[in-house]
Amino acid sequence: MTMPGFTFWGLFLVCGLIVAAYLAWMWAVEKGEGE
Amino acid sequence: MTVQAAVFVGYFLVVFGIGWYSLRATRDETDYWIAGGQLGWFTGGATMAATHTSAGTFIGTIGVMYTAGWSFGWVLLSIPLAYWFMVAVLAPRFTRQQELTIPAFMETRYYGKGIRGLSATIILIATVVYIQAQIVAAGLIANTVFGIPTDYGMIAFTVILLVYTVVGGMVAVVYTDAFQLIVMGLGAVFAVPLVLRQVDGVGGLMELVQSAHPLVFTWETMPASLLLTMGLSFFLGGVATPEKLIRLYAMRDMKTIRRGVLFAIVMILGINLLVFVIALSAIVLFPALSTGDLAMPMVASAVLPATLGAIMLAAITAAMMSTVDSLLIVAGSALSVDLDQNLWHTDASPEHRMRMNRIGILAVGTIPLLLILAGVGEGELVQFIVLLFTALMAAAFVLPVVGGVLWARATQEGAAAAMVGGVSATFLWEVLGSPQVEPVLAGFLASAALFVGVSLLTPPPPPEALAPYFDAQEHAAPTSPEPS
Repeated sequence: MTMPGFTFWGLFLVCGLIVAAYLAWMWAVEKGEGE
Repeated sequence: MTVQAAVFVGYFLVVFGIGWYSLRATRDETDYWIAGGQLGWFTGGATMAATHTSAGTFIGTIGVMYTAGWSFGWVLLSIPLAYWFMVAVLAPRFTRQQELTIPAFMETRYYGKGIRGLSATIILIATVVYIQAQIVAAGLIANTVFGIPTDYGMIAFTVILLVYTVVGGMVAVVYTDAFQLIVMGLGAVFAVPLVLRQVDGVGGLMELVQSAHPLVFTWETMPASLLLTMGLSFFLGGVATPEKLIRLYAMRDMKTIRRGVLFAIVMILGINLLVFVIALSAIVLFPALSTGDLAMPMVASAVLPATLGAIMLAAITAAMMSTVDSLLIVAGSALSVDLDQNLWHTDASPEHRMRMNRIGILAVGTIPLLLILAGVGEGELVQFIVLLFTALMAAAFVLPVVGGVLWARATQEGAAAAMVGGVSATFLWEVLGSPQVEPVLAGFLASAALFVGVSLLTPPPPPEALAPYFDAQEHAAPTSPEPS
């Protein structure tokens, strides 16, 4: 992949990873509250 | 009637309809200022995302990306991280006691009416400037797209906004925000494929952008210090600007807040990424605009088919309205609840208070418009006004709010010094400091130093100020009598 392509799609990828991490955190917190 | 006019009339009818419904749903001050504190995750998250997404996104961000390139896009990452921090660290303690306004929180935590008045004054002044920037952007769009004189566009925008906000308060704001977020999402989702078709898809776009503007995908268009401090500004602004904090009080409970914020994060990231793609396309399609702020209105009026272009313009209007209505609530409540009813008309009847609440919103909407019409504050790039507002709010409120619920030793004097020092340092840097570094850094550092230093030098807060936010054992040590 070219440098511009890497920079362009990289931003989309990182945004997706942040959302996934938030979901995982939320799941862990709610699991903790349920116990 | 043209297609554009039909779309706009339909859009405004829905907004007014919601305003009318909200009048009937608003029974008391809790409804008027925090929508009864009973919002679910969808309305709560939608109003957060819609408030966040402003002319700064649809006009300003595109403007900066049009001139400075893709590197600015990475600043976006600070926003979800800020919301996450807000939910995980701040909200659990901050929401233990519900208030109607952020200055009211300051009074409870910092045990004094004076600090509440100070917070309200800072909010009022900064918000008026921010509302001005959004009104200027509205006039610009009305002029570019419809050929309406800028002044008439600005007046129409402000009047429409004031009608439903004054009438329905936070309930109207929340439900119109949810509707406006849907309009924004639809506008962005439908526009991107059509814009990409004009430039031969994503691959074609990248090649064309590179040849038109070779530095667009490099880090050379904006100094790293500026990018990092802009990121810091968005982060701190995301954590503790009053129009976002107040939504924590408006949502039902912590579970709702966690889900609502997730929804807000997804919507904010999605809309911003789509807008970024449109910004890149504008570099190719309109390479010689006088200001980057015109890029989006040009795409909407000259690239998209009439109906879709009208929806896109409605989306831009929705972005501005959904932000300014929230700011009107924050500034209006600062004026009527935190200044007037807190300091002067302390024994007003509920009917009188509601009347004053509505007059407060009317005043904070009319003053910015009159200032612009008198020639004050026109012509600045919208995104930079948004950044200055964010910097001021961050310098004034992040430490007193976040520090206030995490650090039991924080005192009234420390919070007041942090607010005054933070705001002063932000202004000083804006005027005298290096343009390579955003003023938020100076403001935040000054605020932090004063918050900690002055708090430690002054007597610890009384137990009753800490009781709403800390468990008894957490503040037992700092409030025990000092050996003297």
